[in-house]
Amino acid sequence: MGAARCIKKDALLTWLEEVGKSRLVLAPRAQGKSTAFLPFDPAKGISLSGLATSSPKQALIPRHEALLEFRYTKTDQVPAQTGLAVRELIPNQPTLVFGARPCDARGFTVLDRVYDAGAKRDVYYCARRDKTIVATVACTEPADTCFCNRVGGGPGDSAGSDILVTELDQLYVLEAVTQRGEAFLLEQKLPDATELADKAQAARAAVRAAMPEGDSLLGAPDKVGALFDEMPFWDGVAAKCLSCGACSYLCPTCYCFNITDESKGGQGVRVRTWDNCMSFQFTLEGSGHNPRATKSQRMRNRVGHKFCYYPTLHDGALSCVGCGRCIAHCPVSMDIRRIVSKALTYEKAAKEHSNV
Amino acid sequence: MGSQLEDLKTAIRQALPDLDVVIAWAAGPDGLAHTPLFITSESDVDLVQWDPRCSQNLAGYLPGLRGKKVGIVAKGCDARSITELLQEKLIDREQLTVFGLHCQGALDPEKIAAMADCGRYVRSAEINGGELKIVSSKGACAISLENGLLAKCFRCTGADAQPCDQFIGEHGAPPVLKDAPATTLDRLEAMSMEERFQFWEEQMGQCIRCYACRSACPLCVCQDHCAAQSREPHWVDQTDHPREKLMFQAMHALHTAGRCTECGECERACPVGLPIMTMKQALNRQIKALFDYEAGLDSEKTPPLFQFRENEEHIKERKW
Amino acid sequence: MSVLEGKELRIIGFLCNWCSYGGADTAGVGRFTQPTDLRIIKLPCTGRINPLFVVRAFLNGADGVLVSGCHPRDCHYTAGNFYARRRLEVLRSLLPVMGIEPARFEYTWVSASEGQRWRTVVQKFTEQIHGLGPIPAFKSGTCLEACLGTAI
Repeated sequence: MGAARCIKKDALLTWLEEVGKSRLVLAPRAQGKSTAFLPFDPAKGISLSGLATSSPKQALIPRHEALLEFRYTKTDQVPAQTGLAVRELIPNQPTLVFGARPCDARGFTVLDRVYDAGAKRDVYYCARRDKTIVATVACTEPADTCFCNRVGGGPGDSAGSDILVTELDQLYVLEAVTQRGEAFLLEQKLPDATELADKAQAARAAVRAAMPEGDSLLGAPDKVGALFDEMPFWDGVAAKCLSCGACSYLCPTCYCFNITDESKGGQGVRVRTWDNCMSFQFTLEGSGHNPRATKSQRMRNRVGHKFCYYPTLHDGALSCVGCGRCIAHCPVSMDIRRIVSKALTYEKAAKEHSNV
Repeated sequence: MGSQLEDLKTAIRQALPDLDVVIAWAAGPDGLAHTPLFITSESDVDLVQWDPRCSQNLAGYLPGLRGKKVGIVAKGCDARSITELLQEKLIDREQLTVFGLHCQGALDPEKIAAMADCGRYVRSAEINGGELKIVSSKGACAISLENGLLAKCFRCTGADAQPCDQFIGEHGAPPVLKDAPATTLDRLEAMSMEERFQFWEEQMGQCIRCYACRSACPLCVCQDHCAAQSREPHWVDQTDHPREKLMFQAMHALHTAGRCTECGECERACPVGLPIMTMKQALNRQIKALFDYEAGLDSEKTPPLFQFRENEEHIKERKW
Repeated sequence: MSVLEGKELRIIGFLCNWCSYGGADTAGVGRFTQPTDLRIIKLPCTGRINPLFVVRAFLNGADGVLVSGCHPRDCHYTAGNFYARRRLEVLRSLLPVMGIEPARFEYTWVSASEGQRWRTVVQKFTEQIHGLGPIPAFKSGTCLEACLGTAI
């Protein structure tokens, strides 16, 4: 572990304000009945209790981002001829994400494998990722919807973070996880806290130990994959699903997008927006054919992608980090844990129907 | 309430052989909210729950199950949605078996979670008398049910499910509730036009565009073919601008004008808790004033925007 | 053009093909002077008007919207305007909830022969909109502006 610094709890806002002078600070803030990662405003404070309603993936893949701007032009010489001017819009904003939770940060590693995959780098994502420092606050009180420990994570894990923040009484201990985090931390005028590192680690271990264990869901890929043609299973689990996008849009790992041109007059933007595999339009083809026309098929894809297809491509790493947002905010209280557990124990031969 | 639950289970068990599916509620992932249950075999019946945590309106599933013989468990307000669907001939009465209940209010899990400052790990929760007793990582606490009810329960127009084929338990009046929370509509009326516009810009800025409001709405029967997701015609664009999201809310409100029974599913489903039923309430007020009509009360009536009169009693046209 | 001393505002008119569009034409043929803020969109019937046309127009920045069709009982399609009347009256209650001044929207009936009436409607409505001024804009600007500013 690298450098460690500490900051008194009551000095946090002042420090974030200071950081905010040189980079955009995104931190969880309550607005209305929800909490979202928003540009830090010292007057409005931050909300570090529990898990934010929305995940911080917004920092790296915004709900909508303009990829390019275009404008049709006409010249005086040849009036009938229309030219097209295009301007690429590459993000260039140093950012600090403060107050992500370990599951959120782990979510960034899920996105990295897709958007920053060696030769296939998404320029927009990588431009943001390279300029973003992720400071994760270790959890002290997992909720009943939390299951990070069942999908390979933990309430004090540092995967995906640049800095890990641990709460100790009246202090936050900030420990560098990556070199980027270390460089950032060394720039800050904060007191050294190397001697607190052990204590911080003990605090994290205590939370981990107190978190109720459940069966691991890591072994799901084969089982879930084997159920691909088992439509009665999926019909059963998807029966109550409303096919809305709340789960996907709150999920820290769902990364699918749509690209559309939105123009007005002779000017417009090409925008990339979040998309959601539970939507009928997601796979609707130009011909009118839809390979995933029913919600059971879409549910199979959502669960299959997180617990089978993605891990098959990425050395067994699930694309579910166990934050439980999809459980806590589902309008019909769907529970992905129950679906996967059911899949793990589902006996094909029995042809039992599944009610989860 | 225990015996009412047993009666409900017995009724479902008896009816199940003649039905393809019965929709009821079962225990949810945490103790604060129940979840819809699709019963197809006798063993599922044991999972059925009935108490104030059965907040979801199950009527929304009915149009999608058309053609099947469906049983449904309904509260008073849910039954209004069923009536409206019957009025519009979106479901078939003879295919439907309604197990009606008397409801004393449904709980709002978000509200409870906010009120019960007793830890995020809910180990158990049970309803006893007028209280919800929660045991959590921080200890035990109790919440008075009355304080945790959904906003719609304060405007309850009928606690007994009607229509129904089998009524389970005793008929009764709506719960008598004090201190109805101020509605967003009331708050808006105290604002200037400009403030209202800003209010919506701010609210819609929080919308994540998941369309849970639409998906949960029992009267949004277009669902997979929603105009909001069509590129041609291009009703709304794909950007995250509040204008587009406000436009969608106007679409939802106007598409359900004269049909909305204010079941509150749109607001309940909203993961970020936006007051999106407000516009629908405003339209309902106007419809009541103009046509003396309330949706979902009589399956024989024609919704007001599906008909007209040559001389409209309450419409005063402007003389230029 | 007395009302047009200030800047022109954006007023959208949804007119039915059979009566009001003809009425507007009659006003033109009769050379009745009228304010020029109004931009007319011709539709087969007021029954074709989805109230969302009006909402979309406002959200796209229109300062006023006027709907005009055949007089009751004169509808080319018998009953289109009766349905429209109900829908538009309902719409009227939605606008103030959204923060749009209800007086920015009116509907009326003008027949093909009523050129003079058409002029009166246009004049009065334009004056009314000028009295209200431009519609409030979103703080976050237009969609295009918001998109270009979002490169966080």
